[in-house]
Amino acid sequence: MLDVALVSLIKNMSEKAGIEGAIQYWSRVGENLAKRIGEEAYMGWPSFNVALKEGRTAYSIEGDVVALTDLAITDVDGDVVGYIYALETCVFTPTIERIRYSVGEIPEADRAVAEEYNNTVQNTAVCNFCVIHQKFRSEVSKNITVENQPLECVQLANRGFRGDTKIAIKSLEKIGINPEYVRSLLRNYACVYGILMKGARLRGKEEAD
Amino acid sequence: MHEERKAQLGEHNPFVDVAAYLFLEDIGDKQGAAGMNNYLMSLASSLAKSMPKEEYSSWDDFIDSLQKGESIISAFETVRCPTNNCVVTQTCPFTRGWQEYTKRIGEFAGIHKEVAEFYNATVKPGAVDSQCIIHQTFRSAASERIKVGGRPVRYAQVEAVTPNADDKRAPEEWLPILLEKAGITETELNMTMRNNDCVWILYPD
Repeated sequence: MLDVALVSLIKNMSEKAGIEGAIQYWSRVGENLAKRIGEEAYMGWPSFNVALKEGRTAYSIEGDVVALTDLAITDVDGDVVGYIYALETCVFTPTIERIRYSVGEIPEADRAVAEEYNNTVQNTAVCNFCVIHQKFRSEVSKNITVENQPLECVQLANRGFRGDTKIAIKSLEKIGINPEYVRSLLRNYACVYGILMKGARLRGKEEAD
Repeated sequence: MHEERKAQLGEHNPFVDVAAYLFLEDIGDKQGAAGMNNYLMSLASSLAKSMPKEEYSSWDDFIDSLQKGESIISAFETVRCPTNNCVVTQTCPFTRGWQEYTKRIGEFAGIHKEVAEFYNATVKPGAVDSQCIIHQTFRSAASERIKVGGRPVRYAQVEAVTPNADDKRAPEEWLPILLEKAGITETELNMTMRNNDCVWILYPD
């Protein structure tokens, strides 16, 4: 109920605080959630991936996340510094369905917030809720270590409930993954992101630099 | 929303629920209990106003629709009606969100209870925490969108218990009137509250 009520408020919030204000609100919510959820430490990528599979990591709050262990991210020396992960169902989907059957249409402000975010922050949002959980993932990564190394999360691709997709070509180039491969992942998954060691010397990044 | 549809849609996402609570806490930090209360009430009212109006030819039709989950007032909860005016919510629709919050974040922030104290003192004494404010305001605003036999429907809160077992019953001086409208005794209310989360009444204006 709370989720549906919040969506019905987006329009009101955008009118009062402006679209930019709504983005700031959502970003702060993502940031606060990451802060409140606490720190985590893993001995290595296998233990992190098992924790993720069992729903024990902070990322698991978003739902079932699959570690695509065939898609390791490697650095210039060929060492594994991260993996690609995929969220099976968009966190917003159950809310959207509930709105469809209890209220009717999604407020136009939903799309307006996403578009403004794409133009001013990063071009990766398919709906207004992307603002919260992309910020959440990015902030929560700072509180998690693998082999004593802090992590960073890179948004790679996502598919909205309207069927529209976003592919972060530059981020994919940096980690050396073919965008077409990630596009095909969107047939099965709603959101694809990379989790890697912060500051890793990535092959693609070196080439780009 | 029809009961079968509710079952098909399944549970909502914990991320969205927890994010929503934190959003409200952010409002509370900036505007205090009074500002947060205004926000909660406005959130619930605008939700009800965004839902379609309803008309029923008889009270029986309305109660039937209510219990099937087809009325806007029971869109977010599963209810049963032991009498024509008494409505019982078996499980508070906020239970899962609260459980996810306490599981992943920790103890429910104090502002959620502080705002209820403000609401009880200034609006209506019936809320245990912020969730009750949203829920009770929604029910009240939703009932105003329903007409039965051309007459508006009115809502009143009798008792609520939250997932952490905090309870709020209508003030002693109001209780006999509310129970009479509900068509149940105080003993029956006590018995109902053993297995359910909320008792409220609906009656024609």
